[in-house]
Amino acid sequence: MLMLAGIVVLHVTGIILLLVATIDNAWWVTDALSTDLWGKWELNDLTWHYTNQQGYAEVAEYLQTVQATSVLSCVFTILALFVFVAQLFTLPKGQRFTFTGVLQLIACLCIMIAASIYTAQLHTDDKVGGYGHSYVLAWISFVLTFFSAITYLVLRKKTE
Amino acid sequence: MLTFLALASVVLLGIVPEQTQGIVIYTGWERHALVGSDIRLSCSFFSWRWTSEDVTFSWTYRPDGSRDSISIFHYTGGAAYVDNKGPFRDRVEFVGNPGRRDGSILIKNLDFSDNGTFTCDAKNPPDIVGRPSSVRLLVFEKVPIQAGVITGAIIGVVLGLLVLIVVIYYLMRFLVARRVFSLSVRSVTGLWPAALCQSGLCQGLKQKPEPIPGTDTCVAKLA
Repeated sequence: MLMLAGIVVLHVTGIILLLVATIDNAWWVTDALSTDLWGKWELNDLTWHYTNQQGYAEVAEYLQTVQATSVLSCVFTILALFVFVAQLFTLPKGQRFTFTGVLQLIACLCIMIAASIYTAQLHTDDKVGGYGHSYVLAWISFVLTFFSAITYLVLRKKTE
Repeated sequence: MLTFLALASVVLLGIVPEQTQGIVIYTGWERHALVGSDIRLSCSFFSWRWTSEDVTFSWTYRPDGSRDSISIFHYTGGAAYVDNKGPFRDRVEFVGNPGRRDGSILIKNLDFSDNGTFTCDAKNPPDIVGRPSSVRLLVFEKVPIQAGVITGAIIGVVLGLLVLIVVIYYLMRFLVARRVFSLSVRSVTGLWPAALCQSGLCQGLKQKPEPIPGTDTCVAKLA
């Protein structure tokens, strides 16, 4: 029972971190700027202004790929939670939760692709600023989803 | 009581907004355009007073990275005066409607040197206290890809593949099970449980199961 709770908590934590990383516009942060993936917050005379277009001319395609893969990782990890609950009831005893593990592994792969492309292609020449909390959470959720996927692939359903 | 309420409402509605609001000017925040194209910079204002005949619109331009701004357009006394000496000579046109509080200008044939901040200042005498509003112009060489095209394509393709794989998986399972079932059924005669007498499953077999009325079994007979 405790193990089941622990696994679910790990999975749900991963979902929450992935959602925050995807939705919150804080992958790159300076003193007066908080940007990516969806828009840009600029501090101008004590007020924050939001713009939809980040003004990337050359790297717009890479940004859109990062957007797509991080959204896909959210979708797959939420799907994995539902499949896990379904498999809890339908899986024959002694079997592994392979479908759940595979979905979680795909989610892990997607967020890794997103964060890697972001690191390699965006803000490579910027001297001012650093990575914001959304970027850090993206990598942390990569680790969490990876361990979660391994757990599902190794775990067997209890044989009474 | 009633007079007090009347007085209070007059004070609140009549005087306070005029004294604290002033004129509010609206332009865009940022505009993107291609080299060689034209762009319309819109400017409008809100004022509690009626639009005066002495309404003025003023546009100034500050290049990116510079601290100085130059004036490129002025509308006053019913006439529009455009830049005839500066970087925008013969390129600025007034397309606004002062009577409708619109002081927009059209800048033609853009170039990279036009990157910068355009500030609109409008005055509606006697309402003259207000903050000018700025719009930033970004000139691009090629159109950046529309937001969300690649995003939507990747998400759609991957989710579509996922649905396709799941459907094919279940279809294969169903077909294999049916094939295995039909192979084993071909050789067995005698009594069958009623569930196996679905006509769809038994088509093409040499034996035709017939349900025995009143029971839930059936008998396989040679067709």
